[in-house]
Parts: sequence; C-alpha cells; structure tokens
Amino acid sequence: MAPSQLKRLKLSLREQGVVGPQKSKKQKKQASQSGALKESKIQRNAALQEIRERFNPFEVKATPKTKYEFANNRTIAGRVAKGAVSRPGVTKGLGEENRRRTLLVEMQRRKKVGGILDRRFGENDPTMTPEEKALERFVEEKQRNNRKGSLFDLEDAEDDDELTHFGQALSFNRSAEVDDFNEADLGGPDEEGPDGSAGERPQKRRRLQNTATSSEDCSDGGDNVGSEIRKSKKEIMAEVIAKSKLHKYERQQAKEDDDDLRAELDKSLPDLYALMSAPTRLGSPPLAPNASMNPDSLALLNGTERSKADKEYDERLRQLAMEQRAKPTLRTLTEEEKLQREVQRLKELEGQRLRRMKGELGESDLEAEEEVQALNGEGDPTDEEYNFGLGPGLVEERQSRGLGVEDEDEFVIEDNLLASGSDFDTSDADEVDEAGTESSDDDDQEFVQGLLSSEDAEREGFGFSKDEAGIAMANGATGELAYTYRCPETHDDLLEIVRHIAVQDLPTVVQRIRALYHPKLASENKAKLATFAKILVDHTSYLANQPKHPPFAVLEALIRHIHSLAKTFPEEIGRQFRSHLKSFHELRPNAPTPGDLIVLTAIASVFPTSDHFHQVVTPAILCMTRYLGQNIPQSLSDLVVGTYLVTLCLQYQKLSKRYMPEVVNYTLNTLWALSPGRTKQARIGSFPHHSLPEALRLSSATAASRQLHFWDVVPKMNGNGGRNSVEGKGREEVDDDDVNESLKAALQDTHIALINNMIDLWAGKAAFCEAFATVHMKLQQLGSDSALGYLRAVTETRLCETSFKLNRHLQESMAARTPLRLHKHKPLAIKTSIPKFEESYNPDKHYDLDRDRAEMSKLKAEYKRERKGALRELRKDANFIARENLREKKERDSAYEKKYKRLVAEIQGEEGKEAKNYEREKGMRKGRK
Amino acid sequence: MPEIVNGLKPGKKRKRKDEEPEIRKKSRRAPKAQERHLQEDILGLEQKILESRTNYNSIHNLLDYVRVEISADEKDVLAAVALCRVFCRLMAAGNLNKPQDKASNEVTIVQWLKGKLQEYEDELLRLLENEDTGRQSTALTLLMRLVKEEATHLDKSDEAVWRDGLFQRLLRTMVKDGVAEDTRKDLIEKYVEEYDDIRYYTFARLADISSKDASETVLQNTLSILAAIESIPGSGEDLQDFYISPHSKAKHDLYSLTAHKRQAQKAWMALLRQPHTKAQRKSILDLTSHRIAPWFLKPELLLDFLTDSFNMGGSTSLMALSGLFYLIQHKNLDYPQFYPKLYSLLDSQILHSKHRSRFFRLLDTFLASTHLPAALVASFIKRLSRLTLHAPPSGIVVVVPWIYNLLKNHPSCTFMIHRNSELDKEEDEGSLLRYGDPFRMDEMDPMETDAIDSSLWEIQMLQTHYHPNVATIAKIISEQFTKQAYNLEDFLDHSYGTMLDAELKKDVKKAPEIEHEIPKRIFLKHDKGSGKEDSLLVKLWNFG
Repeated sequence: MAPSQLKRLKLSLREQGVVGPQKSKKQKKQASQSGALKESKIQRNAALQEIRERFNPFEVKATPKTKYEFANNRTIAGRVAKGAVSRPGVTKGLGEENRRRTLLVEMQRRKKVGGILDRRFGENDPTMTPEEKALERFVEEKQRNNRKGSLFDLEDAEDDDELTHFGQALSFNRSAEVDDFNEADLGGPDEEGPDGSAGERPQKRRRLQNTATSSEDCSDGGDNVGSEIRKSKKEIMAEVIAKSKLHKYERQQAKEDDDDLRAELDKSLPDLYALMSAPTRLGSPPLAPNASMNPDSLALLNGTERSKADKEYDERLRQLAMEQRAKPTLRTLTEEEKLQREVQRLKELEGQRLRRMKGELGESDLEAEEEVQALNGEGDPTDEEYNFGLGPGLVEERQSRGLGVEDEDEFVIEDNLLASGSDFDTSDADEVDEAGTESSDDDDQEFVQGLLSSEDAEREGFGFSKDEAGIAMANGATGELAYTYRCPETHDDLLEIVRHIAVQDLPTVVQRIRALYHPKLASENKAKLATFAKILVDHTSYLANQPKHPPFAVLEALIRHIHSLAKTFPEEIGRQFRSHLKSFHELRPNAPTPGDLIVLTAIASVFPTSDHFHQVVTPAILCMTRYLGQNIPQSLSDLVVGTYLVTLCLQYQKLSKRYMPEVVNYTLNTLWALSPGRTKQARIGSFPHHSLPEALRLSSATAASRQLHFWDVVPKMNGNGGRNSVEGKGREEVDDDDVNESLKAALQDTHIALINNMIDLWAGKAAFCEAFATVHMKLQQLGSDSALGYLRAVTETRLCETSFKLNRHLQESMAARTPLRLHKHKPLAIKTSIPKFEESYNPDKHYDLDRDRAEMSKLKAEYKRERKGALRELRKDANFIARENLREKKERDSAYEKKYKRLVAEIQGEEGKEAKNYEREKGMRKGRK
Repeated sequence: MPEIVNGLKPGKKRKRKDEEPEIRKKSRRAPKAQERHLQEDILGLEQKILESRTNYNSIHNLLDYVRVEISADEKDVLAAVALCRVFCRLMAAGNLNKPQDKASNEVTIVQWLKGKLQEYEDELLRLLENEDTGRQSTALTLLMRLVKEEATHLDKSDEAVWRDGLFQRLLRTMVKDGVAEDTRKDLIEKYVEEYDDIRYYTFARLADISSKDASETVLQNTLSILAAIESIPGSGEDLQDFYISPHSKAKHDLYSLTAHKRQAQKAWMALLRQPHTKAQRKSILDLTSHRIAPWFLKPELLLDFLTDSFNMGGSTSLMALSGLFYLIQHKNLDYPQFYPKLYSLLDSQILHSKHRSRFFRLLDTFLASTHLPAALVASFIKRLSRLTLHAPPSGIVVVVPWIYNLLKNHPSCTFMIHRNSELDKEEDEGSLLRYGDPFRMDEMDPMETDAIDSSLWEIQMLQTHYHPNVATIAKIISEQFTKQAYNLEDFLDHSYGTMLDAELKKDVKKAPEIEHEIPKRIFLKHDKGSGKEDSLLVKLWNFG
C-alpha cells in the first residue's frame, strides 16, 4: 500500500532538499556572501514547482487505457494504441502566455493611435550591456553605408571628387596619355557628309567594343576581388563609380547615333513619298520640283505660311487615311476558284439541309450556319448573287423573259432620288453598289438589283408584258405610277395604295416601297419593312381570293419578294404564314380558298420543306393531309382542290421523300371516284373508300384532252374569271357536260402522273410493295376499263406505262427485300453489383463511393471542428479580457488607495506637526507669562 | 303549372286548397277580369259538388270545360285540377265504393260517378298527348295523383290499378308519339326514379307493351324510358321508397330485389327480342355494360343479342365488343371464335373510325394476356401495321406503342423486327424472299396467317413519315427496348385537329429556316434554255 499523500509530500520535499536540517548562522552568512543563497533559492523554487505539479491530479490527463483490442483502437501496426497523455495545465498556460503576448498588447494599445516604434538595438533587451548595444549599432551603421553603393547610383558618386572619362580619370597632369582631341575620328556627327554611313559604322562598332571591354572589366574586377587579398572599400567604390560613368556615356552615345540615323531617314523621306503616292489612284497633287522634301520643311523653306502648310499637311493626312487599304484577301479570284467556292458553299448548305432533314440540327449547327453566313458576307461581291441563283444565271437571264412588269430606268432614277434626298454622298452610293461586300443582311438590296438586271434583260425586247398586256414600258400600266409610296402599316393601307394601280404594276410598287424604306436608309425602316413583309403575305392570299383572278406572274413576283424579305425577317414572315395556316385550320378546314392554296404553295418555295421539323412547314403539311384525309369530295372542284394538294404534298417531299399515307389514299379514292366502271367492280385494297356521288364518274371517252388549270379549284357557278369565262358564258350550259367530262379526264391523267411521281419518290421504301400493291391493282382495274372503251387512247398508254413501271418497281423491291434487322445494337451491359471488399477496413474512415458526397461530409466535419475551436478560443479570450480588466481595475484601485492614504498621512503629519508647534507655542507663551 | 302541381302534393291538399286562389292571383301577372271570373266559377262549382250530392251534375259541367279542345285561357286545366280534387275527395270519402246496403239509388250514383271518373281519365290521357308540354306535365301529375288515390281508396286491389287500370293506360299513352320527350323524362325523374314500386310496375307494363306492340316508335320510346332508368337498387334494404303506402304482406314481390330485377330483365328482353334499327341497336349496345347487364339475373340472356350484333360487323361489332367483354369478364362467358372475330374487326376502317380509341382500349385488354399464342399476337401486330400504311397520323400514333407493348410481352414475336437469316438457310428461305412477305392478308384465321415469319417493314417505312412526331414514335421499334411499357392512354386521343392545334399553339421562338435559294419560277414554266427543271406543280398544272 502506497504511503499517504502527506507522507509522500514530506518525502519528496526532503529528497529535493527543500526541507532539511537547519543551517547555522555562519553557514547562512557564507552562502549569502558567495551568492549561493540566491542560486539555491531558484533551485528550490523549481523543485517546489515540480513537486506541486506531481501532486496535482489535474495536471496530467490521460485517455483511459483500453485493456483489450477492438476495431477502434488498433493502430496500423496492429497493436493496441496507448492512451495519449495530454497536459491541460500546460496547454492552458501556453494559451495564457499567447494571449498575454497578443491580446493583452492589443488591449493596451486600444484607442491609441500613432506612437513611436523604438527600433534601437537592444533597447528593450535588458540582457545587453550598453557596450554591446553601442557595438551593435556601429556595425549596422557600417553595413548600411556599404550597402548603399548600388552600381549606377550617380548621386552617391558625387561625393567622389574624381571625374572620369571612359572609365579613366580625367587628369591633365597625366601627360603620358595621348591627347586625342585632334584625331580624325573624333569628328562629331554634325560634320558627317550626306553619305554619313561610312562614318557611322565604326562608331557603332566602337560602341560594341566598348561594351565588350566593359564587361571584361567587370569580370576582371571580380577576379581581382577573388585573387587579391582584399581591396579597400574605397578602391571598390572608385571602381564602381567609374563603371557607372562609363555606362552613362554609352547611353548618351547610343542616343546620338539614333538621332543621326533618324535625321538621315528624314532626309530621304520625300523620295519615299514619291514612291508611295505614285501607284495610288487618287491623283496626288503634281510634285513640286523639290518634292523630295518633307512638305513641312518645304513650306518652311519656301517661306509660305505655317498655317497653310499645316492645312496641306492635314489634307494629305486625310487622303492617306481615306485611302483604301489593300486587302490581301480580296485578290481577284480566277473563274475556277470562284466556282470552287460556290461549290463549297452549296455543299455546305446542302449538308445543313440534310442534317435538318434528319432532324439533327443542334446548337453547334446553328453556329456553323452563322459562320457560313459570315463567310458569305466576306466573299466577293458576286457571291451574294449566287445566293439567290441570280448571279450565274445573269447571262442566261438576259435571254430569258424578265418579270416584265417593272421598268429598270425608273428604278435607277429612284435610286438617285433617294440618294440626293438623303444625306448620302457619292461615296455612299458607291457603297450601296457594293452592298454585297458589306454584310450579309444586304440580301434584299442584292435581290432588288437582281430583279433590276433581269429587267434589264426585259428591256432588250423579251418583256412579255408588252406583248401580252400592252403595258407602257415608261411607267406602269397606266403610265401614272408614282415614285414614292407610303410604307403601309396594315393590309387596308396597302389596299388603299394599290386601289388605283393595275395588278400588273404591283411588283413595281412593292419594289419601290422596298427601295424607299431600305433598312440602310433609316433605323426605323427595318420595323416598317417587317410590317410590310407581313402585309405582303396577306396580300398574296387576298389577291388569290379575288373573283378577278390576278395573273400568276404577279403572284410569283410577290412570293419571290416575300422570299427575299424572309431572309431578313424570317420570324415575322414565319409568324404570318402560321397565322394564315391557323385561320385555315380553324375556320375552313374542309374548304380551302384559292388564297390558302397559294399560301401553301408559297410555303413550299419560301421554306425548306425537307426539314424534319419546321415551324411553318410541319403545320402546313398537317393542314393539307387533314383535308386529304377527312374531306370527302362531293363535287369536281373538291376533287381539283384535293388533286392540287396532292401535287403540293409530293412537291414538299421532293427531297426528303417522306411517306404520306393520305396522299396515296386520296389518289386511290379519286381514281375510284372517276373510274367509269366503279359500280361493277369490287372495292379493293385496305384503304378506306369514300362513298362518292355518282356524278363524279367519268362517263365518256370522248372528252378533249387538256391540262388541269389552277382556277378549276373554284366551283364553276361563281367562277366567272379565268378559263371558264374564256370559254364563253353563253355556251356554258350546253358545254357543261363536255367541260366536266374533260375536267374529269384531266383529273384522271393528272393522278396517273402523280402515281408515277409517287413511285419515283417512294420506290426505295421498305414497305413499298405493301403500300403500292393496292395502287397496282387499282391501275389494273382501270386498265380493264379501257377494255370497256371508257378511256382515251392517251390516257390508256400512260396508264399502261405507269402500270408497267410500277410492276417493275414492285418486283424489284420484293426481290431486294430482306428480313428486318433492327436490333443489331450492342447488348446493354447488365448493371453489376458485386460488393467491393476493403483490405484494411477502418471504421473511422468514411468509405463513400460518391466522391462528391464524401468530400462534402469531410468538409462539413472540418467546418464543425473549426467552428468549435473558434468558439472555444473566443470564449477563452473573453475570459482573459475580463480577468485582465479586473486586474487592472484592482491595480488602479489599490494605487488610488495608496495615494489616498499617503495624502492623508501627509496631511495628518503636517497637522500633528502644526499641533505640536501650536502646543509648543502655547506652552512657551504660558511659560513666558 | 307549378303552383297547381304543388297544390296537389299528397297530404297537403286541404291546407293548400284555401291558399290556392291567392297564390294564383299573386303569380299571374295581370289576370283578366274574365279569367278571374272563370276561376271563381270553377271554384264555385267545385265547392258546390263537395257540399252536396245534389250538385254532382256540376261534374258534368266541369268535364265539359276539360273537353274544350282549344282554350287560350287555361280553362281546361283549371277544370281538370278542380275535378281531380273533387274525385280525390270523393274517393277518400268512400263515395265511389260499392255501398253496403245495395240500395239501388246509391248503386246508381256510384255507377254514375265511376262512369264520370272513367270519362275524366280518358280526358286526362287525351290531354297527355296535347301539343303543349305544360299541359302534358299537368296531366301526368294529375294522373299519377289519381293512380295513388285509386290504389288507396277504391275497393279493388291495388294490383289491379297497376296491372290493367289507370297506370297501364298511362304507360300505353306515354310510349305514343304524341307525348313529348320532356314529359317522359318527367315521369322517370319524378316517379320512376323516386319510387321503387312505380319502377317495378313500369318495368312490368313496358314488358307487356313491347312484347305486344312492335311498331318502331313504340320501341323507340320504350327504349328511351328504359334507358333513362338509372337507379339500380343494390340490395333488398334499399327498397324503401313506395309511392303508395307499403303493402301489408311482408313477402310481397315489391320487397324482393330479385323480383325487381326479374321485371327489369323481362322488360329488356321483350325489347331486345324486337327488330331494331341500327341506331337503336347501337344505343342499346352502348348501354349494355353499365345499364342493362346489372339488371339481369341471367346475363347469359344478353348473349344472343350481343353475338348477333357482333356478327353484324362494322361499328356495331365494335360496340358489341364492350358488352361481350363484360360478360366474359364478369360472367365467365365462353365465347368460341372470339379472337378470329376480333381479328376480323381489323379492317380498313378501324384506324379511321371514331370509335378507334375505345376499340384500342378493349383490344389492349383482350391481348394483355401473356398466354396467347405468339402466332395470334403476331397476326394482330402485322395486320395493324399493314393498316397503318393507309392510316392517319393519329392512328399510327396509337398502333406503334401498342405494338411495342405486345412485342415486349411476347418476346417470340420480336422476330418480326429482328431476324438473323443464316447464309445456309437462305436457300430454303429463297421462296420466302422471292415472294416478299409471307404474311397473308386475306387469311381470316389469325392462327394461320404466317405473320410470325414476316417482318414489320411497314413500321420501318413509317419511320420516314411526313409528321416528325409520328416518325419519331415509329423509331421506338428500332431502338433498344429499355422501356417497360408505353401507357396507351397517352396516345389514344389524338386527331388532326389536336395535332395541328399543338403545332400552331407553340410560339415561334427561333426564326424559321428559310430556303436559301429563291426559285426563279414558281408558277410559270422555266424557259427552254435556262436548263432548270420545272417543278412537279408546274409540270402538271396550268397557271395561265
């Protein structure tokens, strides 16, 4: 059993010699004299401290030792980890110390600004003797002096009295040196002749040599330092100063050289001027006899006024600035290059179209597209024309009929009008000419000009309008076309404008409006033209709906205008077309007007119909197929409308070759409807047959052959324009049957032609045989009609041809048929979930497979720890501050107490003294009495 | 005439009677003096009759008022209402029952009164066929009131009233053409639906009527009455509401659910046995599963009708399908040749039909079983895919996900979309290749069509359908089958209209692509020398 606490304390005290037998007085005296007493006192304190620590049960804190090994307390080596020992007292003391050093200082300095920082050596170091301090200070001063000698510090060198030249002391008393003042090569630059190059070269070389020597010197100096025992400080300094002087001189020299060179260049500048201005197109002013000189200096020489010279100079400068700079990219391309470029461009566009057709157009493609556009913009001026297929065709265009309704001359005048009317000067007009080069959004300008050139051709005598409608070529149909028009803001506006204008002149008007409100002319024109574009779309449909049928040349021109405007305003025009489709879809899905048909046709030409998805084309197709699928034709005009739509549908699919079930159905149904032998024949095929009125049957084979006409879509009752009127109204009733019969025959012919086209389009499809077996049967059925004598000879031959072709294609496609192999995919890997075993598993570690989550939790833990630590520190700081404050206060209080007591004592003392004095005085007086 | 009708509500009669004149005055906007005079006149007569026997002859006067054919003022109505009150009072007082003493005098009076009652009833029934629907509904109310009083107070058994008495005559009139549809609806809503006994006897009487009289209008009207009866009692306890005070006998048929159902079944069967027009048949078929079949004690009885309808083909078959399915599902009906029949429904119209979505819902359930033979499933798949070649986009959109689901359920059918024909086998299958498609469209038996040896080229072709969404949907066949199943409901209800709406509703966010080349000619022919080919449109059409 361990001895008691008290016993142990006594024991340890004795062991340390704190307590022991009492020393005699003599011994004590001895010890105090030798200073051992003091030492022993320190020793004793340390020993006591140690003992105190040992006996404080809170001084050491150990984590409880674990006897047994378990998963948590094993170290890597596999042993049971020893409980770590910590000393809270020590750490606390350390923290206290730390605070005293930082926080306390800060506290004391609080609310105090400024002050002097004492940086004297050893000022705050009580261990240094004054001698040591002085020594230290001296050393530092010396060092500072030495350090100051930076190589090129000229100012510092001034206290050196020696001047040097070329690193050598300037002293006239060293007569041994050759006075080279008279040497030839010392000649200043000003003495050099106009061909001063000869004199210059040596100088330069000399400079080089100088630098070489100087560097040599440097290295020599370094060697010397190493080799010689030691140079005195003064010597070193002298060397350094010499070197800096040398460098300074060299710099001056170099500057002088440069000046010389510049002067020389200046002299030869007029020659350069001559050279530069010679090839420019702008006629430079005739050269003065002494043109080789700078105009400035020349003017000065001539004594002309300075201001005049300046003016001239400015003018020249402006000319130079305005001068077109040669562009390396703009070299004239050869024909082949142009063609190649064009081919490249077309290829690119086609590639994009294909991608859109497959529905793959993503963001990157859009960018690419922009790139292409930019490319076009940079291309040569004719490039833009190619964009519309107008450029290369220009030559051929000359042979062809123009649009024939516009007049070129007028437009040229127009151009001038607008040019003089606005602030544009001639150079801007030039710019307009080259608009194609400027930017890609100048399409329409180009388009307008393209139209012009085609009109140009027309003027040469190919205008059909002159032959046909007898339009005066000077100025529109009535010769009263105005030159300027308001830009219409609504469709009614446009109607108001064109009310007194012949339909044939409409394109001219449109063109003039487009030119007048060209976006280049004013910023708000762009918005105006956008509205105008929308109105044009409306107007096209409106025109077609008029009972008086407009000529198709006009409609065509309008659509082409819309197309070219659409390049600038795709969104607006797309929206407008969509609104037309919407009204068609909502108001009259089963009765399209001619206007709707024209709009659908326009869509076919304005928008790329082959796209997988297109905001305008897709609804348009749906509208058409809806009509074809749901409308059961009741009259011939219904059939004509349907046939027109079938034709349009096929044209939409010209490139993309997508399959349209409704189209096939409609054709089959129409053939069935027209088929003369319908009543006797069975219904074949798996398409839904319409129940059709008997009147639609073709009843005689005698009908005259003709082509379907667009205006056949209008029922004859109100069709007073177009063909029917031409045929004569009087005979209408008589001819009614004949007309109908010929129309039926035309429909039949058209549908056979359409089937022909379908075969071409869809022959490659997988289920071609299935889809077209019915068609084949139908054709054969029709063929049997021919036996009955119902068909005309022409139709019969066409029928035979088509039937034969279809048969061939059917056989081919059957032969080419193979079973489907749609699922040649790489088999999908099954998700594996084999557990992963950790070699040396540590439960403290987090095995999170999700990296992000693992990092997150790590961060969180760290944050938590830090936060805790920070809080603890803050708390301790607050404690410390409170403690310090208290201490301070106590100190202050005690000081005050002390002072108070002292003062009281002082006063009391004085009082006592005075009282004594008084007593004495009193006694003395008494005594005296 | 609502105020009059209100005045006749059973039990409130007396109280209301005093208030009546006032009510009338209030509700009429500006009663003419003459009219008021008439009212007072009629009321006076009524009062007198009730006061004394000697005034019984006034009944005759009132009857004369009722008989007046056309009366602008509502004299006939007023008189009829007054008479109703009179007779009700008399019956309640027992004046129409055979007197005990058998005094000839009394008997004569009773006889005379009965005669007048008969006359009055005839007049009311005639009024039921009046053009004015207001009069019709008044007459109906009065008649039903009389039915109640007769059944309660007359000494003959209430059964008799229902069977051959007034009620029978009422119903016979109701199915006539002159009665407006609204009045029939009135009858159903106010009486048949409300009171279990009325419903019971209605069924009974209608069964009699339709088994005897087979004219088309009668059938039509009977059907409309029967079809309007919605409330089907769930159990015997539900039979609580009776028009006439509950019967003394607890075992009476009126308390038995089975009896009710038997009556309904009888009525329907009588109707079903008659020849129908197509429209009638369709409307019956429409009702079969939720209105008719629940009434039937033996739903098998419906089978004949349903099979007949199913065999008729076309849309009628489609409609019969749901009824048949009900029987198969709930009554464990075995229908031989069901699948071949179903298969035969897949004709050229099916994808265009307006019942398409309904049909596909059923078809989906019929083919949901994974135990169906693969050959059969393959036939359905192949036939439908063949039909899609001529179908509208809305039809295709249904078929393709449906095929996907079937292929997923019947993996042996996936040969239709992926078949590895080995090289050496190709010799044997040469014939197959030469003839294109082994599938026989004409074969009516789905087990014999060889569709399982075929491939779905049609769907592959539809991958290039003009509508982008349809094309995309068709592509699911050739992609990895990772999705478990498509929910068919998402694809069922589309049409051209909805698809177009969907397209046009979207706002144009991005500028649409523009054709980069402006064509030189759109309507007119190209010139010979230009070297450009005319478009199809220009080739075929003349734009002069």
